[in-house]
Amino acid sequence: MASSSPIRLLIADDHPVVRVGLRNMLLSDDQFQVVAEARDGAEALVLVKKWQPEVLLLDLAMPNMPGMEALRELTSHETQTRTIVLTAKIEKQQILEALQLGARGVLLKDAAVEHLAACIRAVMQGQYWLDGRPVQNLVQVLRELTAQTAPPPRKTYGLTSRELEVVTLITEGCTNKDIATQFGISEETVKRHLTNIFNKLGVGNRLELALFALNHHLLPATA
Amino acid sequence: MRQTLVAAEVYDRLQRAMASDPEGFCDLYRDYLSDARLTLSQLYLACHGRNSDELRAKAHYLKSSSLVLGVSAIADLCADIEDCSAEIEFAAVSKKLGKLTQLLNRVQSELEQKLGPRVVPAAA
Repeated sequence: MASSSPIRLLIADDHPVVRVGLRNMLLSDDQFQVVAEARDGAEALVLVKKWQPEVLLLDLAMPNMPGMEALRELTSHETQTRTIVLTAKIEKQQILEALQLGARGVLLKDAAVEHLAACIRAVMQGQYWLDGRPVQNLVQVLRELTAQTAPPPRKTYGLTSRELEVVTLITEGCTNKDIATQFGISEETVKRHLTNIFNKLGVGNRLELALFALNHHLLPATA
Repeated sequence: MRQTLVAAEVYDRLQRAMASDPEGFCDLYRDYLSDARLTLSQLYLACHGRNSDELRAKAHYLKSSSLVLGVSAIADLCADIEDCSAEIEFAAVSKKLGKLTQLLNRVQSELEQKLGPRVVPAAA
């Protein structure tokens, strides 16, 4: 029963024509239910809190509070809502920023009518949606985006060479066991390296570490 | 094959999605045209007042609905206007607004052929 209940959505866009167009696209599919609509970022935050939608479609360029700021606010709230950024145009740096802030997808408006349903379904299945398609390996995408957005002078942030190697493997998606096997060390030692890395970089988990490494050019150029 | 200004794929998808409400579908495009006319007049005012921020904001606003409804030629021109506004090239913006006016008239004619006179917004 629960699996057949519609996906609850909130549309946040300052343009009424855009909201109506998207709402009608969604209403034609009984798997979707639009629970509320917001005209700006501030209203979106209020309505997310009130309606707890499963998916928020969030325009980036809105008055009062731009979408990216609303996204930043949302990350500080305890919410299960998954955000799909809806935009006319987006720079790679902004995609990175949106993903860091917790966005689960980026949907360009010229593809909205065509991809909206598939994008929402992919995000609800735990995938990310970028570049008009579902993304299985977020870390790989982040690496590519980072490579395209900035030259990579390598910094170490006080990490030892072994810790840097661990960071590289973490961004490749390796488990502690994988790393232990590769370096011929125990998992306990890997955990100790990770604790030291987390403390030095001020990050709290592996995803944050991967994002930090990508954004701060902590990875070797050839990795 | 004659090129259309409203992308057939987007138009058809929306029309299918709103098959149970054909009047609502027509109203959607009428509201788009009406809003585009209003935004166009605001763009002219902003250009006359050499207000770069307002120009960019309004051009972006019109681009947004144009993209979603498949009117990509208008969206592209709005993107050009955004760029020219950022560079404070008001003479170029002025020329593009002339083009935008013509283009909007053509889009309206095309939609009128598809949807009938109901899609034409009431004259301001």
